[in-house]
Amino acid sequence: MKVEREVTIAAPRETVWDFLWDVPRLAGCIPGARDVRTIEERKTYTAVVADKVGPFKVQFPLTIEVVDVQAPERLRVRANGRDTAVDGLVKVDLDVTVTPAETETALKVAADISVLGKLGTLGHSVIVRKGTDIVDRFAQAVRAQLEAKA
Amino acid sequence: MLRPFELSEPTSVAEASELLARHGDAARIYAGGTELILVMKEGLVHYEHLVNVKTIPGLAGVRLDAGTLRLGAATSHRALERDPLVRQHFPAVARMEADVANVRVREVGTLGGNLCFAEPHADPGTLLQVFDATARIEKKGSARTIPLEGLFVGPFETCLEGDELLTEIVVPPLPSRSAAAYLKFGFLERPSVGVAVAVTLDDGHVADARIAVGCVGPVPRRMREAEAELRGKPRTETGAALATAGRIAGRAADAITDLHGSAEYKEHLVGVLLRRAWDQALAAIDGSPRR
Amino acid sequence: MKEIAMTVIVNGDKHDLTVPPHETLIECLRDRLGLLGVKKSCDVQVCGTCTVLLDDRPVSACTVLAFEARGRSVRTIEGLARGDDLHPVQEAFVEHGALQCGFCTPGMIMATVALINENPRPTADEVKHYMRGNICRCTGYKRILEAILDASRRMSGASAGNGR
Repeated sequence: MKVEREVTIAAPRETVWDFLWDVPRLAGCIPGARDVRTIEERKTYTAVVADKVGPFKVQFPLTIEVVDVQAPERLRVRANGRDTAVDGLVKVDLDVTVTPAETETALKVAADISVLGKLGTLGHSVIVRKGTDIVDRFAQAVRAQLEAKA
Repeated sequence: MLRPFELSEPTSVAEASELLARHGDAARIYAGGTELILVMKEGLVHYEHLVNVKTIPGLAGVRLDAGTLRLGAATSHRALERDPLVRQHFPAVARMEADVANVRVREVGTLGGNLCFAEPHADPGTLLQVFDATARIEKKGSARTIPLEGLFVGPFETCLEGDELLTEIVVPPLPSRSAAAYLKFGFLERPSVGVAVAVTLDDGHVADARIAVGCVGPVPRRMREAEAELRGKPRTETGAALATAGRIAGRAADAITDLHGSAEYKEHLVGVLLRRAWDQALAAIDGSPRR
Repeated sequence: MKEIAMTVIVNGDKHDLTVPPHETLIECLRDRLGLLGVKKSCDVQVCGTCTVLLDDRPVSACTVLAFEARGRSVRTIEGLARGDDLHPVQEAFVEHGALQCGFCTPGMIMATVALINENPRPTADEVKHYMRGNICRCTGYKRILEAILDASRRMSGASAGNGR
């Protein structure tokens, strides 16, 4: 499933771009993310994303790889992980673009999310709603972080 | 193979409530198990402790109390489908129950279990809302009653506290010159769209219109803005109002594109089913002086 | 973990068993009692292949827990025929060619027995509604429907053989 969100942030583009590389703070914007670790600066990271829907809990230890960087305007990242308890594999391709918009910056997040395995089939509807919700909240959180500073 | 669990068999609501409180998240109520055992078998969830509520006397059964239907939460779908009181006085409910899943699920699965599991793609929660049904929720030492609509918080999530049980669903009768209808559509195992209406006529006008949509959004709910389009209209002039109500309800249903279909398709179906359910309800009113 | 001691009558035979709460009825019938006529197929109570009768009510053996059969009677396909004498439903299925691979057949027949027991002369629509939860991938259902209607006619003593 593809989800796209765009937010306008009252901060200059350089500030927004730098924020994307402030991995602990960026990870803090992802709902349910914790234990963020740098394996190789600007290349590979790991994190655990946990969430729950009613009684169903998931916990994905993710490996996050930076696939392509076009500083200071575009960043592509791939994350994947397998749930520890339930049969489910998640793959996210994230395409983040940072464009100046007069005195502000337009941050566009395009996520291509796949959940495979039993979780993906049985939980499909839930995942669609959750995926949209997470990307939404991520974009809002990034804006909130940057506008609080600025 | 299911993972092992302990089974408790309380003989009172208070005892069940205590067990739930004691074991917290590790315990779950077990009635028919048609939803619960399924997800436990799939490995999506595990409970170390199941609390069997079928051993609590009085939790299942159908009573008609001065025209109001009182349904024990542990009553099976099949019992509701076949109950003479339900069939005579609340025929739309009997018909909806007759079409839940398949006969084996209906024999074992309970109304309370269905409502409390809160799987969005289900039927009873949608139809019962157009009757303004209420839910009686009990725990050790206290009880509360809420509109059924308030039970559903999100997909697979109810407002029940950890130590509470749903014990009874109370369905008041519709006024005279009223009827309800429920229609659903689906091509997967569970319905993709469900629409319920209840119509009351008065002197050729729509005195009341109640609409609920289920399966589409995260919870089944009433569509009050859509209802307002129809109230007061002469029954012969509801064509445009139904189309508008259908559009409003479709949009308000919060459809997403998933394996059940595109959001646009589901919105479209809401309108179609609304119109058909409306016609069915009117035909039922015309066909019987009472309901 | 506390196991449950229970007595259950399966196809007329009394069994004293001790089962853990998490054992399913199909595991009990197939693995403990050797009743392999109870077939496991979808395992999610959708296909009806594992249909058995619990006190004459059709249930999915894959999703009902074994202990729920305590003090009750269970009937599987093995419990229908009397030696070489087939049950009228079985006879009707054979005569109408209402099976091909045969995998759905035990469940289909058990559901039919439950239906006719509850509704001795169902209409075609009533049969279709009741049997909706029993899936067949081979036959296209037409002969199954005919077999069920014929069986109900025979079992209620009406004259057989009209309008095949």
